[in-house]
Amino acid sequence: MTKKKIVLAEDNSTLSLLLKFKLEKEGYQLFIAKDGKEAIELIEANEPQLILTDIMMPFISGLEVISHVRNKLNLEIPIVVFSAAGQEEMVLKAFNLGANDFMGKPFSPNELLIRVKRLLG
Amino acid sequence: MSYLQDVFEYFDQLPLLIQIVWSVGFVLFQIILVLIIYLKILRTYLRRNEETVEKFQSEYEHLLINYLYTDSDSESSEQKEIINRLKVCVNNKFKRDIVVSILLKLRNEISGEMVDAIQKLYIDSGLVKYALIKLKSKNWYIVAKGIRELTQFKIKEAHDEVVIHLDHPKPEVSKEAQLYLISLFHFEELEYLKNVKSQLSEWDQIQLLEVLQKFDNQELPDITPLLMSENESVVSFALKLTKIYNLYDMKDELMILLTHESKEIRVQVIEILNHLYIIDAKSVLKTNFKNSSEDEQIAFINMLNNTFEVEDEPFLLENLHHTNFDIKLSVLKILKIINIDKFKSLKQKLTQPEFNQMIEFVENN
Amino acid sequence: MDSNTVKIIIEIIHYLFFIYAFGAVLSYIILSVISAVETISYMKKNSFVNYKEIMSSTISPSISIIAPAYNENLNIVENVRSLLSNHYVNYDVVIVNDGSKDDSLERLIKAYDLVKIDYLVNQKIQTKPLRAGVFKSTNPAFEKLIVVDKQNGGKADALNMGLNISKSKYVACIDVDCLLLEDSLQKLVKPFLEATDNKIIAAGGVIRIANSCIIKDGKLLDINFPKKIIEQAQILEYLRSFLLGRMAWSKLNGLLVISGAFGMFDKKVAIEVGGYDTNTVGEDMEIIVRMRRFMEEKKEKYRVAYIPDPLCWTEAPDSYKILISQRNRWTRGTIETLKKHKKLAFNPKYHNLGLLSYPYWLIFERFAPIFEVIGFIYFGILIALNQVKWDYTLAFFILAYLFAVLFTITAIFSEELTYHQYKKKGTGFKLILMSFLEPIVFHGFILYAAVKGNIDYFFNKKKKWGAMERKGLVKTESI
Repeated sequence: MTKKKIVLAEDNSTLSLLLKFKLEKEGYQLFIAKDGKEAIELIEANEPQLILTDIMMPFISGLEVISHVRNKLNLEIPIVVFSAAGQEEMVLKAFNLGANDFMGKPFSPNELLIRVKRLLG
Repeated sequence: MSYLQDVFEYFDQLPLLIQIVWSVGFVLFQIILVLIIYLKILRTYLRRNEETVEKFQSEYEHLLINYLYTDSDSESSEQKEIINRLKVCVNNKFKRDIVVSILLKLRNEISGEMVDAIQKLYIDSGLVKYALIKLKSKNWYIVAKGIRELTQFKIKEAHDEVVIHLDHPKPEVSKEAQLYLISLFHFEELEYLKNVKSQLSEWDQIQLLEVLQKFDNQELPDITPLLMSENESVVSFALKLTKIYNLYDMKDELMILLTHESKEIRVQVIEILNHLYIIDAKSVLKTNFKNSSEDEQIAFINMLNNTFEVEDEPFLLENLHHTNFDIKLSVLKILKIINIDKFKSLKQKLTQPEFNQMIEFVENN
Repeated sequence: MDSNTVKIIIEIIHYLFFIYAFGAVLSYIILSVISAVETISYMKKNSFVNYKEIMSSTISPSISIIAPAYNENLNIVENVRSLLSNHYVNYDVVIVNDGSKDDSLERLIKAYDLVKIDYLVNQKIQTKPLRAGVFKSTNPAFEKLIVVDKQNGGKADALNMGLNISKSKYVACIDVDCLLLEDSLQKLVKPFLEATDNKIIAAGGVIRIANSCIIKDGKLLDINFPKKIIEQAQILEYLRSFLLGRMAWSKLNGLLVISGAFGMFDKKVAIEVGGYDTNTVGEDMEIIVRMRRFMEEKKEKYRVAYIPDPLCWTEAPDSYKILISQRNRWTRGTIETLKKHKKLAFNPKYHNLGLLSYPYWLIFERFAPIFEVIGFIYFGILIALNQVKWDYTLAFFILAYLFAVLFTITAIFSEELTYHQYKKKGTGFKLILMSFLEPIVFHGFILYAAVKGNIDYFFNKKKKWGAMERKGLVKTESI
């Protein structure tokens, strides 16, 4: 069985590394993007089964990543967004654009893992 | 040799003014030379620094992740080894700063048991010791930095050392100390706001609120004394709490504050009455409308936009010719909704050019 | 006239020149020292600040970025994208297409799924009317974006339209081709939020020169030191002006200019004073002076703030022709502004503004090139009459030169100790070399442009009124 692929877009390198470590241990293959632009490139190149993205990122925001995936690439893959306190409005917009789930920062990596498992079945 | 002698002879016969000018020039030249050499050293140092920072950063990042993912049930030998390695590193200020920044970077973004692990690492590696040393520094900004670090890592044990800085002459330090207390010892500490004499800036308020919103226990104490404070900035802060926590119980206090001496506070109160949908306030606001400032009037019209009823019609008609663009526009918009026939008849009557565009716009939207 | 009187007059002229030069040097020294103290205290104060809190707080004030655009179709899509990804929650972006003749609007519509919306503009400031109208995106990802298409009226007119449209508390006015760093809004709004006993009416930051830097997709990837002398010299000029001059003036609460390339304003005050003046080529300086004057007359405590962070990068002219026309415009802008507000001059009613800032600008900025030219003419006459005391001349010239070099090197130092943006090996040497060359090979062009600006202002009627000459949006960030 091939590993399920996940693209993770997050500009905090330490957090990325932590999540990569955690999810790879569970048998997923991770692609790490520092910003929205890289995320879109990775999504187009690797056709992941799941996307994890921060909302506020340099250059292309998480919202635009979602919009690109849903409207331009027409993909139905699940998307989970990360957001900080005070970004509730952005989260609503993310859901409008087609996000499937959200995690408010600070979040517990274990909880994220549970949600990832649920979404990837 | 003789050449130098010539120079000195020439110099000696010069007028005093020129001698001074040459001397100053010579001094400047020397300063320039020294600065150039120092600049070279500085640039080399900074460049090297940056390279090493990057190297250490990725090294410590991996170390931290390894620490967090080695079996978390019992302290394994691998974890002990990592702690021992870090203990050595943190003796060096340069490396210590990098370790702290990495810990914080993660600490701020995650929650759950991993936070406890990071905290434990912070204490076990001896970093907390250095933060406490910062509190004794002669430089105020180092003290402030130390307090902030202790706040971020939630080191409650430093209470006594931090408290003595509450009266620090530099407001930046005393504010950090206040934030420490509120962050770690919660709402009770809001009490101190009752007695604060100095004005809280918007920036202070943002920070305070950020701390409050992170609490697990979102049970606010009674903020009535804050709303009734003599300190305008405290009232403003309490109003923000009222809005964010939807404190409908504060209705009576809000009504009292409608007559507050500060216009900014009065406007803020109307905005909150709007937010909380306290329609009982409308009649008072209508009565006061003529005598209030334009900002208050706009705030009230915005409230009407959300809370209009058929009974508002006479008031709206009264203010149809208000000089303010936004007020006039809102009046027309609301009239159109509550009484379309009236609106249509107004359309015939109001033929002034200023109304044409507006009525057309309201009709189409 | 007997020879005695002539001698006395010449003596007086000498003394005047000497006093002027001495005053200039002294002011530079004082400003540098104040700047150094102020910069150090800023760095200390911000060494433990967590900007994330402003960025995401629900009570952070709203900001509108207003960017006028004229025939910018090449980069506009990318530039807007970069403006949309600023790290701040409560903000929107108002692009004012000022009657562009190219396909800027079409490109924006296509890239951001824009549709025309019905919008009634409250003309708080009179501007040229809308052309195609107001546009918003149907895609929620671009909800922050508003595009306004209006008839051509020049940069000031476009900014005024932006002021009319914005619903925010603060407005950040920028040149659309500027590259804003992601943290620019959070950093620049902080002074507004920190004030308690006085009102901040405007704030500005450092403008950096982006020539030769690698910018991809609206993101600054790599900072390089450019190769051409003209670009290198301007970098030194900017460093001096922003790191040594402005910081000190902000401490003295005497700043008269916020660069038009990137500045933030309290919208209410900006509208109350009537917005930007469309009849000057120096609208960025003029509005600050007018806002200050307004606050002084209202007798309200206020400040114009300044922060030393490099927040905005812009392309500087890389040909002498463009540089000279830019400086020519700045000179006229300064003259126009000072003339329009001559009531302030030496007027104690206006406190620091009337007694310190205005006179300083008049004497050491406005008149500096004129004094310099008179000096050269006088020197020429002396040479012709064989009256030059070469001992004096040589000594003073060398002293002035060394002082200029020292001043530049101090600015470089300040840069290295604070933000250290030119990190590459070898750049240090180039910076130093340029500090020595600049007074000789570059200063002449600046002087020429300033003199030409004076001549154009007084004798060239066609150029006297900025709006007539200027259909496009020239960058007017005066430094």
